[in-house]
Amino acid sequence: MILLQVAVGGLLLGAVYALFASGLTLIWGMMNFINFAHGEFVMLGMYVALVITWIHGGPEAFVPAATAALFLLGVGVYFGLIKHVTRGPMLAQILSTFGLALLLRYSAFAYFKPDFRTLPESWLSGTLNVGGIYLQNSKLVAGVVALLLTIGMHLLLTRSALGSRLLAVSEDRNAAMLMGIRPDRMQALAWGLSAASAGIAGALLAIGFPFSPEVGATFALTAFVVVAFGGFGSVPGAAIAGLIIGLVDQISAYKLGPIYKDVVVYGLFVAILWVRPQGLFGKV
Amino acid sequence: MRLAWGPIALWAALLLFPLAVSVSDSAAFLDDVGTTLILAAIGASAWNIVGGYAGQVSVGHAIFFGSGAYVTLLVYELWELPPLLGLPLAMIVAVLFAVAIGLPSFRLTGHYFSMATIAVAELVRLVVSNWPLLGEAIGIQGPATPRGWWDLIFRSSVPYYYIDLAVLAFVLALTYAMERSRFGYYLRAIRAGERAARSLGVPVLRTKLMAFMLSAALTAVAGALYSFKLGFVNPESGIGILVSVQMIIIAALGGAGTLYGPLIGALLLIPLQSATNTIWGGGGSGLTFIIYGGIILLLARFEPGGLIELWRRVGAATFARPKRGAADAA
Amino acid sequence: MLLEAESVSRAFGGFLALSEATLGVERGEIVGLIGPNGAGKSTFFNCIAGDLPPTGGRIVFDGVDVTAAPAEEHARRGIGRTFQVPATFEDMTILENVMVGAFLRHHRTRDAHAKAMEVLRLTGLEAQAQQRARSLGTPGRKRLEIARVMATEPKLLLLDEALAGLTPSEIQRAIELVRRIHATGMTIVIVEHIMEVILTLAERVLVFNQGRTIAQGKPQDVVNDPKVIEAYLGHHHRRRRARKAEP
Repeated sequence: MILLQVAVGGLLLGAVYALFASGLTLIWGMMNFINFAHGEFVMLGMYVALVITWIHGGPEAFVPAATAALFLLGVGVYFGLIKHVTRGPMLAQILSTFGLALLLRYSAFAYFKPDFRTLPESWLSGTLNVGGIYLQNSKLVAGVVALLLTIGMHLLLTRSALGSRLLAVSEDRNAAMLMGIRPDRMQALAWGLSAASAGIAGALLAIGFPFSPEVGATFALTAFVVVAFGGFGSVPGAAIAGLIIGLVDQISAYKLGPIYKDVVVYGLFVAILWVRPQGLFGKV
Repeated sequence: MRLAWGPIALWAALLLFPLAVSVSDSAAFLDDVGTTLILAAIGASAWNIVGGYAGQVSVGHAIFFGSGAYVTLLVYELWELPPLLGLPLAMIVAVLFAVAIGLPSFRLTGHYFSMATIAVAELVRLVVSNWPLLGEAIGIQGPATPRGWWDLIFRSSVPYYYIDLAVLAFVLALTYAMERSRFGYYLRAIRAGERAARSLGVPVLRTKLMAFMLSAALTAVAGALYSFKLGFVNPESGIGILVSVQMIIIAALGGAGTLYGPLIGALLLIPLQSATNTIWGGGGSGLTFIIYGGIILLLARFEPGGLIELWRRVGAATFARPKRGAADAA
Repeated sequence: MLLEAESVSRAFGGFLALSEATLGVERGEIVGLIGPNGAGKSTFFNCIAGDLPPTGGRIVFDGVDVTAAPAEEHARRGIGRTFQVPATFEDMTILENVMVGAFLRHHRTRDAHAKAMEVLRLTGLEAQAQQRARSLGTPGRKRLEIARVMATEPKLLLLDEALAGLTPSEIQRAIELVRRIHATGMTIVIVEHIMEVILTLAERVLVFNQGRTIAQGKPQDVVNDPKVIEAYLGHHHRRRRARKAEP
């Protein structure tokens, strides 16, 4: 019974992983670029939720607030930084988001202090009993919302006109330009979406888990593992992989303790790298 | 060489530094800063081989530094041998890590490699922090009192300073020789354009791997020297992310892929770091990271070639006459 | 026969970019590959160069099967290539660029240096040896790429649209360079769009369309081949020409 509960918890957590990993894989698919600050975007989403509670907002405001704040940040980061380094040397590309990650992480450190925080009680508190399995409302809502948004992102990319424009730019930038699509705008949009997905995931996680400025590093690595497993560039891959990694994460935590669960998850990344770098659905 | 007087003056200054400050009241403090500076330059120069010249950005070099620091002190803790004897073993451990990371990831694009280094560094840090043999969060200690010169325990920083300076000279001499060799040209070609390099017969995978292994071994030496001086190592000082970040920023600030870039970066950053630590206390480590993050960002955005490249550009614009090439003339 | 490409095919997922292309190149020949955009000539070129492994067929070079060999191996065996968009090492000097090529056959820096200087003299780049590659314009970069690959002492030189984007006078100089190289006994395969270049340089031409080879022969014959005209200009044009020919 406990194992089943842990498993369900893992799937719910995995849905949130799927959400922010989709954002990371979107950028990779579009620009062959890895955002090393993606974990910090998740972390910032958590703090957006915190700030909302400071002004007495409820959890229903978290998603819109995180979306707005992080979307703007994503677009800003694209125009201010990314746009200028993508065509340059690899060193500049990697250092750019890595430096950004440090800046964001330790600025949050300085402003919000390093202590772990939890959000105050709200209408989402409490536990649900579903056939003997106890689920915290907060985590249940977080998981469901995350899953819906992930599916929504996939549909947006594959079924909408906007999505096909984004994909056109990722396939062939020059051809897209000739078709009247503005690659810059599309890439900025992708960054906004990517950051928003991370921010929303963070806000959802904040409802159920304690957080501190340092968690960005862990989320970044988790995102890497999920994206590598699902296949770089594949949003459906990230979704499925997210659920699986969430399961692995929680079951390992239950069986081995919190420290070794990280070892398992990162070890999985190394294994994927060695054995099947293209993951489930990706292209290397 | 155009700037022959520069390096000569630099090395003279480095050689005479402890002598020069011996007259000051803060001699001990300054000697310590100097030694830290030289050590930082060694680590950054080692990183420079794979990150600067070959363009393969490792963000997890702390693994190799940590190998050097931990394995050397471990041979003392386990077998009461002088830590120095553990150095060859430490280098082997570092090289094995390099092969384990590099072999799968060098076949893929550069981002994979960087990600792999971050992941493995974090993995190693977690394992080390929780392994009783390695002292978990507390770490391991070296000999408290010297049993002979070979234990390399000195009261003053000055002997460490000169030992480290000698090692730095060796690392730079090695880099200089490499720069001029076939291997060095191939590294730079890989950084400049892997596909083109392949088309010219450059064995890309093998070359990258060798650069990584060399860099790892030399970084282990830096880690070992650090542990000799400090007398102990713990996860934060040996395998923490600051170790990796510091190597990168020092090399990149001075000029990644240049011979003296890392040393120049160290000459700028280490005194600065000491000053901020003194003014704001050790708790300024958060501030240090913010500044480091900002510097890295600015470098990436505006001058990835670092100060040396900036100097070249400004110098070229100020002093050189523009030339027209025969190949461009219609 | 220096190069034998037999039934070379390359599929990308479900899309067959190249289907059963066959070409034999004798030592000392200049062969041209032409065809409209997306016809498969670049894919074929990249298979011979080792950049793309074929999904079908064989490539034998100088008696050795190199079908599955990586690009480095092709280069070592003596296949040299230039890139459609010049891929020079921007931050390295012109001399250093060529030395990277020279190092393939000369392991000592002094020897590679000497070889590189020799090649720079032959290609007219000697005066700019110490300049950075990024200071060159497109024609300079293309010339540098040729110099760099020549330093690897190839037996077969693959030129990928080496003359695209050049002014008429630059094209003349480039043609002269290619002729000079050919005169030393080099075997050359050239992908080109510009008809005059192909007609002037190539002894034999292979025409691609929609992944297949549709004609092969002397340039003047191929250019008048109705299949080739149709491939370039479309069925419509052929009918117009046919109607014009009627009294």
